[in-house]
This record gives sequence, C-alpha cells and structure tokens, in this order.
Amino acid sequence: MSDTEPRTDGGTTTRTTRLRRTLDRMTVEDVGLYVVLALAAAFYLVPIESGLVTSFKTGTAIIETAPFAPPGPSGLTFEKWRTAIDVLLRGMGNSLLYAVPATVISAFVGSITAYGLTIPTWNKSYKALVLMLIIAGIFIPYQAVLVPLTQFWSQWAQLDQVLSFVWALGIDEDYVGIIELVITHVAYGIPICTLLFRTYYKTMSDEMIESARLDGATLRRVYRRIVLPLSGPMFAVVLIYQFTQIWNDLLFTLVIVSTESSPAAPVVLILAGLGSSLEGQDFALRMAGAFFAALPTLAVYIFFGEEFAEGVAA
Amino acid sequence: MATLELDSITKTFQDGDEEIVAVDDVSLSIDDGEFLVVVGPSGCGKSTTLRMVAGLETITAGTLSIDDRVVNHVKSQNRDIAMVFQSYALYPHMSVRQNMSFGLEESTDLPDDEINRMVGETGEMLGISPLLDRKPSDLSGGQQQRVALGRAIVRDPEVFLMDEPLSNLDAKLRAEMRTELQRLQNDLGVTTVYVTHDQTEAMTMGDRIAILDGGELQQVATPLECYHEPSNRFVASFLGEPSMNFFDVTLEGDRLVGDVFEYPIDEGIRSDLGDATDLVLGIRPEAVQLVDAAGDHEFETTVDVVEPMGDENTVYLHFDPDVEPENASTLVATIDGFNRVSEDDTVIARIPPDAIHLFDRSTGEALHNRSMENAADQIDL
Repeated sequence: MSDTEPRTDGGTTTRTTRLRRTLDRMTVEDVGLYVVLALAAAFYLVPIESGLVTSFKTGTAIIETAPFAPPGPSGLTFEKWRTAIDVLLRGMGNSLLYAVPATVISAFVGSITAYGLTIPTWNKSYKALVLMLIIAGIFIPYQAVLVPLTQFWSQWAQLDQVLSFVWALGIDEDYVGIIELVITHVAYGIPICTLLFRTYYKTMSDEMIESARLDGATLRRVYRRIVLPLSGPMFAVVLIYQFTQIWNDLLFTLVIVSTESSPAAPVVLILAGLGSSLEGQDFALRMAGAFFAALPTLAVYIFFGEEFAEGVAA
Repeated sequence: MATLELDSITKTFQDGDEEIVAVDDVSLSIDDGEFLVVVGPSGCGKSTTLRMVAGLETITAGTLSIDDRVVNHVKSQNRDIAMVFQSYALYPHMSVRQNMSFGLEESTDLPDDEINRMVGETGEMLGISPLLDRKPSDLSGGQQQRVALGRAIVRDPEVFLMDEPLSNLDAKLRAEMRTELQRLQNDLGVTTVYVTHDQTEAMTMGDRIAILDGGELQQVATPLECYHEPSNRFVASFLGEPSMNFFDVTLEGDRLVGDVFEYPIDEGIRSDLGDATDLVLGIRPEAVQLVDAAGDHEFETTVDVVEPMGDENTVYLHFDPDVEPENASTLVATIDGFNRVSEDDTVIARIPPDAIHLFDRSTGEALHNRSMENAADQIDL
C-alpha cells in the first residue's frame, strides 16, 4: 500500500499518513530499541519454534534441513505425534491421578494454615515460630530428602501392605506409588502455598474479619464464609504454580515409581526414555512427546489466566 | 437492651521492653438505652476502649459487665453486641441482603424466611430496599454506610458500638446521618457507645459524652455540662469551635495580672480559687462582647483578622497594636454577622466576669466555672 497510489478510499489515506507520521517521528534510538526487542524475542522463541517444526519432520528432513526451518512437503509427517500420544497417554492419566489431588490438597492445606497464622488473635511469638519453621521448609532442596524419602516409604510407612485390600480388587500394586507421590508432593508444597496465602490474607481488612466475629461467626465459619470465598485469585496462582511444579517433577517420580515399564508410570518418566534407543535419538519423537506432555500445564494457565493476573497483582 | 458497666478498665500494650498504657483506669456506667459518645483526640484510647467492650482486645485490668454479667472473658460472638466500623467492613463478595443476613444466620437459629423478612424490614427502615441485591462495590459511600448500619440494626443486639461511623462521609451527608442516627437510636432504644474525634458529633448526638485524653477519662457529663462546666483545661479547649481563649494570669490580691491586661475579680470568684495563684483564665469566644465604653472588664483591642461565617463573624483581636501580630496575645471573639468590623479597627472587648473560667496552671484543673444558671440565662436571652 504505497502512498503514490491514487487515494480512492479514506481508510487507506489515514492509515498511510499515520504510518508515515509514525516513521517520521522515529529516532535512531527507537529503531535500535525495536531491533533489540525483535532479536530478544527471536532468541527466546527459536528453541520452541525449532522443537515444534522438528516434531513434524521425517528422519531424513531432520538431517537435511536446518533445525528451525519448516519441513518441506516431502519431509512432513504426523507419525511422530501419533506414536508419542500412543506411548504417553497412559502416563498422562497416571500423572493426572497424583498431580490434581496433590495440587488441590496442598492449596487447601496452605490456605487453612495461612488463615490460622494470620487472622486469629494468637500470641504473636507462637505465630512467628510456626511460620519460621514452615518457611524453612521451602528451602530444603529435593536432593537432600531423596534418601530419607525412600527409606520412609519403604521401611516406615509401608503403604502397599496397608492397602492390600485395594490390590485384591485387581488394581496393580504399583499404584501405591501414585498415592505416595500425592502425599509427598502435598507435604513438599505446603510451605510455599502457606507463604503465598499468608501474604494475601495479610492484605485483607481486619475490620471485616472482626465484623464477622462480632456477627457471631466462629473462626471456622469466618474461614468458610468470608476468607475462602475471597481467596479465588490466590487459589489461581497457587493452583497454577503447584500443578506445574508437580506435573514437571521427575526426581520424586524416579525415586518412588522408578520404572517406566510400570503400569503406574507418570508421563515424565516415560518421556525421559522416549525416542532414545541404541540406534540413536529420534529427535522428532522426543519433540512431539515433550510438546504433548506440556499440554496440561498450558491448559491450566489458560483456564486460570484471568484470576492468575489478579492474584499476582494482589 | 442493657446497661454497660466499665469498672477501672485498663489496657497496656507491650512494645519491646516498654509498656504503653493505652487506657488508664477508665470507669463508666452507661444506662439502658443511653447514647454515650466517647470523644478525644487521636491516640487517646477511645477506640481501644470500644474494642475492649467488643471483645476485640483483651482487658488488662478491671471488669466489664453487660447487664451485671461480667463479660471480660466472654468471646465477641457471645456478647450480643453489634459494631459499625469506620471502614464499614462490608463483606465484598456478598450482596447487601447477604451482608445483612450474615449475622442472623450465624448467631440465631431463625428460619430463612424469618431472616429475609427482618432484613426486608430493616432495609425499608433505612431506605435501602432497592439496593438489597447489589454488591457493596456498586454502592456509594453513604449507601455503604447505611448497609453497615443496617447490618448492625437487623441483629437487634443488646449494645451498639460505633467506631467513627461517619468520618468517611462528606460534610453534608455527615450532618444528615448524624440526625438520622439519633432518630434511629431513639426509636430503637438500644444502648449505644459511639466513638468519634469530632466534637460537633459529640455535642449534638450524645445523651452524655465521655472525654478521654492520653488514655485517661477527663469528664463524663451531658454535653452542656461539659461545655459550660469543664472539669479541666483540656475539656474546655477540646469542646467548642472556635476554641476557648486562654490567658496565663497570676492572682495578686483581687486582681488577675496577665501579660497584657489586669482583670479584677469579685469575692465570689476569689473564694473558689483557694491557695492557687498561678492560673489560666478561659473565656469562650461567644461570651466576648464588643462594647462602646471601657471599664474594668473592658479592653481596648485591635482587629487582626475577620472571618465572616454568614450568621456570625469570628474576629481575632490583639491587645497591643505595637507587637507583631504573630507574637501578640490574641483574643478570639464570635460576634453577630451584621456587626461590621474590619481589620485594624480599634474595638473595645468586654470579658464578662460571670462567663470566665479559671484553671490551675500546673494541674489544669478547673477552679472556677461560669455557672450553668448564668449560661442558661444567656441562652434564654
């Protein structure tokens, strides 16, 4: 749409003049800024773009084209995605089985703990001590608990024996790993959830809570009818954060479930071995698998996006 | 409906190693159906006192009883009180109707339709029926204030507690709500404790007012008593707008000698003073008169500033025209709005002997007040 063209309609005229005016006002700094921004965007997006195009390439296309170049018509295949979905679907189900309960339970426990530590008029020094212990929990690295964790589940809490009646129903005994993962992730998630909710509850109006107490509501009822309904935005933040953490965690699943051949193997465990064999790496299959396994976390972001923004702002 | 009794109530806060006394040995007894206004400057302990009555703060010492039942250790929700907060403290996720039902749902076993009926009635009484299905965020400040009030009224408690409920409203609305609150309290006959820092609210609303300063109770009396017979200099200066004039004077024989004037007093006043000689003379601005002839109680002054208020003028007078205005002793007088005086005029101000107050300079205690009979006479005139 060059402006040497005859001006036949108003829309074109204004758009062209506006564009020219914007270009006139551009300084060297502006141009530099946009170039840097574009480069930065490309820098961050290229790996994702490369992964995505690679997942649609045939083996030959991967060798013949650059990693970020799209596949030609001859090199295009959906076969890798089909294989990835076939192999991973079982693991997706298993992952959801522990990720969803662990996320929801840790969020709720965190919310109640934070309420208890923020709102009731306890002695301040007790509150500070309990809070200190909880916050310290955030800083314990995963690696430091791996050995105690295995010992705990294999020697102290032998859930597989307690739940023997469940296995009698025909459910595979390996699913005890899923329950252990739920409990482990809840325990590990409580500190950060508590901290996030506490920050949020501290901004709540004291007078509102006091008013509810004077209205005759007990502590439990104040939580149920006032605090919990107002926690929506923070729940979105915590749910997204916890779900992503738990879904993507490989370390605990390696320790607790350990084999990808197990019927209870979570998606991360299967994904780790996907497309690797003695013959070499199947890059396309690995990429397709990675994108497929990431879909649920993406869905959670989209689902809670609006509340998430509100909660982060709060 | 109940009586409320505060007996030597004390509250101390721990701040590090320091102990801060917020409320110091306050005793108050509030009759059934009485409207008591607690007033004082910021940080005087009035809100803390109210919060102790509500059970939101623990009581360090003393006893609190509602209807002769000691409630020191009774939880807030079991005291049968309702409180209106300065911030209104409405529940933002609930509609007006839900806000008002909440208390009844939590504190009684009434069936839903009964609660609904009561909320409807209260809504009607306060003129907020059309708002019942809206959320607090959709309401104006004045409307939110009414909802907060309705939430307290609908519960029909033994005692109402109000913590500066009008201070977030604009001046016009505040004046309207002041009248309406008084009418409501009269109709409902519920014992009410009302905390404010606004002396106009204190003077106009309460059956009695309790004036606090630095956590200590200064005086409890009817508004007129507090105004005309203040128990000390603090009460005298706190009530009244413009504030009472004060001059440091020394008693010499039958004269009060100040920096800028000498003021003869009669034997009646003299006998009230006892041994005290270092005194403060107080005179209300509206008691000062502008007259034609000078005498013992009349003083020649220069007009510094005139503030016309319409019905009346507030004039700032200086005793000594040679002294820079900002250093000179100022006498504030409220005079009739039609009395035309302008800056730099020389006028004669009369300080009537029957209207003066005398305070002990060191303790601030009132030694002599204008008598209520004289004050009443003046009001009649």
